[in-house]
Amino acid sequence: MIGKLIRTDFMKIRRKGIWFLTVLGPFGVVALQMVNYGLRKDWFIQQDIYSWFYYIRNVIAFTPFALILGIVILTSFMASIENETNAWKQVIALPVTKWGVYLSKYTTLAILLVVSTCLLTLFSLGFGMFLGLDGGIPYLDLIKYCFYTFFASLPVLGLQLWVALVSKNQGIPITLGIFGVILSYMAYFLPDWLIWKWPSLDNQWDEPIINVCLGLAVGLAIYLVGMIDFMRRDVK
Amino acid sequence: MEYIVETNKLTKRFGKEYAVEAVDLRIPKGEIYGFLGPNGAGKTTTIRMLLGLMEPTLGNIKVFGKDLKRERIGILKKVGSLVENPSYYPHLTAYENLETIRKIYGVPKKRIADVLEIVRLSEVTNKKVKGFSLGMKQRLGIASSLLNKPELLILDEPTNGLDPSGIIEIRNLIKRLSKEEGMTILISSHLLSEIDQIADHVGVISKGKMIFQDTIDVMRRQSQKKISLKVNDYERANRILISNGMKADFSIDSITLPEHHDEDIANIVRVLVENNISVYRIEEEKRSLESTFLQMTAEERGL
Amino acid sequence: MISLLQSEWYKVRKSNIIYILFAAPLVGLLIGIVGGSSVFPVEVNQWAGALLMMNLTYALLFLPLVTGVLAATVCRYEHQAGGWKQLLALPVTRGKVFMSKYLLLIMLVLVVQVLYLGSIFVVGIVHGFTDSFPMEIVWKSILGGWVATFPLVALQLWMSILFKSFAASFSVNVIFTLPTILAINSEKFGPYYPWAQPVFMMNVGGDTSEFFFIPWEQLITVVGGSFLLFFIGGFLYFQRKSV
Ligand SMILES: Nc1ncnc2c1ncn2[C@@H]1O[C@H](COP(=O)(O)OP(=O)(O)OP(=O)(O)O)[C@@H](O)[C@H]1O
Ligand SMILES: [Mg+2]
Repeated sequence: MIGKLIRTDFMKIRRKGIWFLTVLGPFGVVALQMVNYGLRKDWFIQQDIYSWFYYIRNVIAFTPFALILGIVILTSFMASIENETNAWKQVIALPVTKWGVYLSKYTTLAILLVVSTCLLTLFSLGFGMFLGLDGGIPYLDLIKYCFYTFFASLPVLGLQLWVALVSKNQGIPITLGIFGVILSYMAYFLPDWLIWKWPSLDNQWDEPIINVCLGLAVGLAIYLVGMIDFMRRDVK
Repeated sequence: MEYIVETNKLTKRFGKEYAVEAVDLRIPKGEIYGFLGPNGAGKTTTIRMLLGLMEPTLGNIKVFGKDLKRERIGILKKVGSLVENPSYYPHLTAYENLETIRKIYGVPKKRIADVLEIVRLSEVTNKKVKGFSLGMKQRLGIASSLLNKPELLILDEPTNGLDPSGIIEIRNLIKRLSKEEGMTILISSHLLSEIDQIADHVGVISKGKMIFQDTIDVMRRQSQKKISLKVNDYERANRILISNGMKADFSIDSITLPEHHDEDIANIVRVLVENNISVYRIEEEKRSLESTFLQMTAEERGL
Repeated sequence: MISLLQSEWYKVRKSNIIYILFAAPLVGLLIGIVGGSSVFPVEVNQWAGALLMMNLTYALLFLPLVTGVLAATVCRYEHQAGGWKQLLALPVTRGKVFMSKYLLLIMLVLVVQVLYLGSIFVVGIVHGFTDSFPMEIVWKSILGGWVATFPLVALQLWMSILFKSFAASFSVNVIFTLPTILAINSEKFGPYYPWAQPVFMMNVGGDTSEFFFIPWEQLITVVGGSFLLFFIGGFLYFQRKSV
């Protein structure tokens, strides 16, 4: 059943520009580095930081809020497909479970974000190779950091999807999303327990894997809470 | 009788207000059931509960003899529905809209073309629904409710926004589905005239309460004929009839007799004439079904 | 016109706009309190130091993004079930409808700015600032930030009329707002980028000899020019929009 639901969800997002945004997001992150390296290449060389190591750091510095903004936009789009057209009553009157519907929305979003993350890895790799940075290409680190960021942001995905699906007025989840973006922008100052800090992969122990584990565990918890709340609501 | 839908004390409360109160719906197999009531009576709320869109505050629902709460998915596989205004994704074509639903039912793709043909939308199969007229959207909604060849079809005001020929078309379609496919059909409306030609059973709901539920024939009979008499002296006529043990309603200028056999009427007239009352007129008042329905719901509202 | 404005306000009041407006002081408190204030040497006025930090995040991200949410909220009723039809079937011209929505938005942004000002005071109290309050530069930055959003509001109103979904107009907003992070670091490009203007005009460390921290020419050409472009674009689009 979940397979069928996901396929219909992918049908419904046609022509909404969602795929375009999925590609634009990672492209934008790398484009910022293009500008960055285009303008300051000499400075990087002079400082002796024209290497893959610093390049990956630069990419990863922007990824959290690109990702959070992406999550805010995609979840709101996903919710608006049914919210705007009052189609929930049609969907829920089909022989499907409500948790199935919720899981399908979540999975569809997760797939889109994984595609984004893969593209980010590819684009970063491509531009890095074009720059001819010092040192060997750290394929594994690149993949690791891109996906770490994704896993660490799963709690935000769960929260935004929940709020977006139950809000009639999409201004609410989007305003919440703006808070999230600002929090992730200030990640450095935040205490470790705030979910918006996690995508920065920063913590007092300097162990990114902690954020990944927290992301997966808390992400699952928030997902469950959102799903249970969605299930017990009447469909208008 | 075998009931396809059976509810028990079905109740839904919003805050303090009861939208549906202790409704015992009984929809017999293979029949067309007209669900009638004025605006805000609770028709849509009842239908939402039948589809599991809303949790009843109290009471239970059985569809196909199975408990809705426990076997919702199994039941919904055999149910088609259209609730209030139709739902659609404007950025998708008619075909794609149906495809999103077809995938879930897992019926053959051919069925999409079939249902579009049934509601006469074949020509706009590949047009985005954004550009559809109100009636076309309504037809699309009906098409999607037929996709899975349901055994129970639930239509909430399906002729909303349709032109007269469209209304007749849908009416004929409903009759055909009932006769040829043996579908059980629940169709709600606030106009009796809309369903009195097709429904076998009617339920009338007003202010959340079911105030009438039976076959349309019983309703017809209730609404029929009253005999009214015009005489020269109502007061005396009144006394005479009472002393002869005959039932009638009196007012200053008429005597109305509830439905009687012809023989009874003859008796009453004879008694009056024998007592020297001049009988000027004997009229048969035929109330329409519509006015009966209006009166039923008006009484309930305390008008 | 006045009655139209009142009716717009009435509609908006009933949506959750209050929460959105109060996001501004919340964000102010958040960045002011969490962000720390001890990053500046003692000879800098404590208020100015805190403001420098707060205003950057506020003007860089919050202000441009929130204008988009406000614009979408102001058009929300009309996008639901034939609202445009209903509104434009009233004896009003489209031009006036557009104007009144724009004016309402500008006023809402002013409210946002004033609420943010309030949060600056609270931040100061929380941190126990003892220096004198630099009223002049604070007002300059509040008003300057407001003026700098005029073109942004115009574009967002256009996008909100164009797109039904919040997410769509918000994406456009994000696409233009994010490059600001780079633009403000670029001497060549920054001054010409409309979305960077709130940052410059709220930058209390900027050129204090100028009335608004930026040269008049920049204000008139960049802010004024982009305002005209977006306002006229949106206005013309709305005139032709079929509802
Ligand atoms: N989600 C809700 N929240 C609060 N009250 C509701 C809700 N839905 C319906 N009601 C109330 O329940 C009552 C019945 O509404 P319902 O939609 O079932 O009427 P209806 O018979 O379908 O009327 P109509 O012919 O106008 O479609 C109304 O008084 C309505 O105000
Ligand atoms: Mg109804």
